[in-house]
Amino acid sequence: MKIVMDGKEVAAERGQTIVEVARRNGVYIPTLCHVPALEPAAMCRICTVELAEGRRSRLVTACNYPLRSDAEIHTDTPLLRQNRKVLIELLASRCPGSETLRELAERYGADLNRFPAEDRQCIMCGLCARVCERVGGNVLALCGRGVEIRVDTSFGRLSPTCIACTACVQICPVNAIRFEDVDGERRVIVRGKEASRVPLRRCTSCGARFGPVIDLVPVLERAGESGVPPFNASVCPACSRRNLARRLAERHFEQHAVEPRDAGEES
Amino acid sequence: MSESEAICCQEPEVDFVVLDRIIHEEFGGRREKMIMMMQTIQRHYRYLPEPALYYLAQVLGVPLTKIYEVATFYASFSLVPKGKHLLHVCTGTACHLRGSGGMVRHVAAKLGIAPGGTTPDMKFTLETVNCLGACAVAPVVVYDDKYYPQANVGKLNEFIEKANAD
Repeated sequence: MKIVMDGKEVAAERGQTIVEVARRNGVYIPTLCHVPALEPAAMCRICTVELAEGRRSRLVTACNYPLRSDAEIHTDTPLLRQNRKVLIELLASRCPGSETLRELAERYGADLNRFPAEDRQCIMCGLCARVCERVGGNVLALCGRGVEIRVDTSFGRLSPTCIACTACVQICPVNAIRFEDVDGERRVIVRGKEASRVPLRRCTSCGARFGPVIDLVPVLERAGESGVPPFNASVCPACSRRNLARRLAERHFEQHAVEPRDAGEES
Repeated sequence: MSESEAICCQEPEVDFVVLDRIIHEEFGGRREKMIMMMQTIQRHYRYLPEPALYYLAQVLGVPLTKIYEVATFYASFSLVPKGKHLLHVCTGTACHLRGSGGMVRHVAAKLGIAPGGTTPDMKFTLETVNCLGACAVAPVVVYDDKYYPQANVGKLNEFIEKANAD
């Protein structure tokens, strides 16, 4: 299989997507809705490239197009630049103030204020819903369709299945999802609306709140680790570190028969 | 049973025996028939009651979010109760040219509801559809699952009177 990307022959394996091949060979293709760990969804269309297989040349989304035969790919033609510019401008109208979009706009000379702003704080990449399905508790869904599509919980209610993993917070390219730890619980807030509340665990050593209280068994099952006993810490990471350090120090003193001077008063 | 049927018109209580019959007997509890189950549930209650979807998710082992996505994706599914009588007015191009917009406005004004809305007495729901595929006989309306070609305001008034008398 011979793949030519922007005039250079590149290494590629059968079945790899164009984005995978490009990433491996250091060719830049912009993406917004793509994360290698998740199934590609081709939601944002910004990764569109020109592909010539045989005699035909056409536009395909690079993130979910698997290469199966000889192909010539152009990732940065005037047509594509124009295409991306308009896409960025349209996305910016839905999501003004996004740092990610501002950077892309600079690259492609897009005018962020070309279209009147209609702030929905979302570019509908669907990453949060996909990562929630893969990692979290199936909390976020893409509801509706067409221009009315939106990210929400089932029936718009606080989700009972959220594990407060905050993967959605991490993955959102426009930072529309955040979380806050208040009153002993973690609240995940999607576009200003609370999606879930999960109680936080209390450290048995220092009493501070740390990770969320969740049932880890189904999480491990989703991760393909069924049968693994869930790890449920009762001590916060800081105390855990301090306790370990203390144990190591004690052992050191025992082995060298040294009287500790003033063990365990620091914190 | 008769008492629960009487309440049914206001706030239908979800009957899990009915749901079990739909899920298991009619469709063999098969996950790939989820949409058909939802259609049957919708026919039974005239909308998709929330508890029914929770139950469906649990029985099929499908995440509730997936069912919610399907329910919000298709315009034919409704999560809010529908009236006893359902009027669909086609607003496709041909019907639009033949005055379906005026018919929608007429019914909406007469009943004091917006398209997609239901009268407070739960008797009548007005909806618009994008195309019914019967453009040759435009304007088309569907009243209680029956198609009426070349409809007009007079015909719609008949429907409303019938519904109110019911």
